[in-house]
Amino acid sequence: MTSWGYMLKRLVFAVATVFVATTLNFFLFRVLPGDAIRNLARVPHASPQLQAELRKQFGLDKSPWEQYLLYLRQLAHGNLGISFADQKPVIDNVMQALVNTLPMVLVGTVLAIVIGIATGVIAAWWRGSWKGSLGTSAAIFFYAVPTQWLALVLLIAFAGVLPSHGMSDPYLLDDSWTAHTLDVGRHMLLPSLTLALTLYGEYALITRSAMLETLGEDYVLTARAKGLRPRVIVRRHALRNAMLPVTTLIALSLGYLVAGAILIETVFSWPGIGFAAYQAVIQRDYPMLQGTFLVLTVSVIFFNLLADLLYAWLDPRISE
Amino acid sequence: MNQPVLEVTDLVTVFEPRGSLLRKAGGPVRAVDGVSLRLARGEMLALVGESGCGKTSTVQTIMRMVSASSGSVVLDGEDITAATHRRMRPLRRRLQIVYQDPYEALDPRFRVRQTLEEPLLIHTKMSRTQRQDAVIAALETVGLTPAETFLERFPHELSGGQRQRVAIAAALILEPDVLIADEPVSMLDVSVRAGILDLLDRLRRERGLAILMITHDLATAARFADRIAVMYLGRIVEEGIAAEVVGTPRHPYTQALLSVVPERDPLRTRAPLLLVGEPPNAANVPSGCRFHPRCPMAQEQCEAVDPALRPISADHSAACVLVE
Repeated sequence: MTSWGYMLKRLVFAVATVFVATTLNFFLFRVLPGDAIRNLARVPHASPQLQAELRKQFGLDKSPWEQYLLYLRQLAHGNLGISFADQKPVIDNVMQALVNTLPMVLVGTVLAIVIGIATGVIAAWWRGSWKGSLGTSAAIFFYAVPTQWLALVLLIAFAGVLPSHGMSDPYLLDDSWTAHTLDVGRHMLLPSLTLALTLYGEYALITRSAMLETLGEDYVLTARAKGLRPRVIVRRHALRNAMLPVTTLIALSLGYLVAGAILIETVFSWPGIGFAAYQAVIQRDYPMLQGTFLVLTVSVIFFNLLADLLYAWLDPRISE
Repeated sequence: MNQPVLEVTDLVTVFEPRGSLLRKAGGPVRAVDGVSLRLARGEMLALVGESGCGKTSTVQTIMRMVSASSGSVVLDGEDITAATHRRMRPLRRRLQIVYQDPYEALDPRFRVRQTLEEPLLIHTKMSRTQRQDAVIAALETVGLTPAETFLERFPHELSGGQRQRVAIAAALILEPDVLIADEPVSMLDVSVRAGILDLLDRLRRERGLAILMITHDLATAARFADRIAVMYLGRIVEEGIAAEVVGTPRHPYTQALLSVVPERDPLRTRAPLLLVGEPPNAANVPSGCRFHPRCPMAQEQCEAVDPALRPISADHSAACVLVE
């Protein structure tokens, strides 16, 4: 098969998956117990007339099928609807949340990749000695620890030293660009560190096992017989070949990152996409929920697609 | 007789078992137990034996991939038995190895040119064009012509025989004195084996390369090697000029090995001397002669006496109590 045929097939599959996921998301939230309007009933003076009025305004008086078709038609036009909660276009809310999430997730992921691969290589090279065991045990520990627990522990440990809430200081007097960036950076430290720590363990373990496999290959022995320095053998032969499974794993896990940040963003009240999804669930804000879950779905599927293509590109044996 | 280029004396390699908390480790394994070999320039020595007899461990020890427990390895007058990695590095270019499986021995992400260039980058200060010339010359030596068409290929774009030729070219590019070939053809199709063996044969005749070939195929050894050393459970049990070892084998183990070499005429049958009993296990070496539990000619004394390698003629020796 040509690589273009392969890519096209993957692409069609990805688009179909997005469609199915969108449909599921739409109906799933509507079978959730609770109702967007019922929440408002607790508000004083929310008369049945007002509720009916709101119901009509939000389009919730129509049958689910009608709502679904309406949703699909608007989605095709790029319209994600209006948030029930703040009456703003969902697309604006989601975009703002995404812009907030991405730098935090990016820093955390890069950190996780660097620490993970380094730990994995060390654990494989010094297998059997205390250095290797330490690296492996630490990786397993952080892989096993629940994200929210780690987040809370870090939050308690650094309380007073680092900001624990939000992504910027609303009382910041200096409004220069540098001061603002520094402030956001300080706020980002804890969430990013939490993300990095919960992610790196998996990367380290995969790198270690892939390295152990390549270190046992004859071409590594051959490289030793040629007189190559151990450090060069690791970098040029063992790690290069071990990177194949590692890269695909990382690409795959990137898709879940945006979603995985829900817990971290909730603990640190980081106004990102995960936090937005959490808030939308509590408020039964269907359009927001659909919007955020659309982003999460698309990101998972996009990175799956990327992993597929990356694998074909990395392995010269597949790209034929 | 000329000075040997590689001389191995009483080499012993012991592997200590790695114990764990749950599983009690066994005793140490003497994979190589007092092996002596001499290899002259331009000579091919075949080291023959069944799987697990310590052939590969012997080679690993000679190559300093594994440390020797005792004995010595002398490369062209220089004792390398305990050489450090730093001291070993310049010596590596004189002692090269070709592995059994050409599918594993080449880095799948290195093009042929990169694989061949790497040793040059480590050991020489050649310019880019000099390296290119050396790579092409090496490819032509091993019969991969036109060399230019192979330079940019990946291993997966080559056949098994071509890969093994690339591996040999990579070993030869530094013009070593000694080449160790660890079962160089056992993973290849029968049709391409002869080509590889002829290549090795030509190299030693034309270049004076000394070759230590590991094999479990006595027929191959008899056809190509000058000398044959038969190994059993970490020991050399018979050693000598190829024609003599094959023609008049003195050790029962060699006789058994020879009896199962197929005849050229498939209709002619011969009673193979089948060995009975446990296959050799280096972790549990029998008392006396280590071959006696499987030996068809074992006598009472074999359980007690561990025979040393004794000369039979000027260039033939065997380790068996029956040899007088």
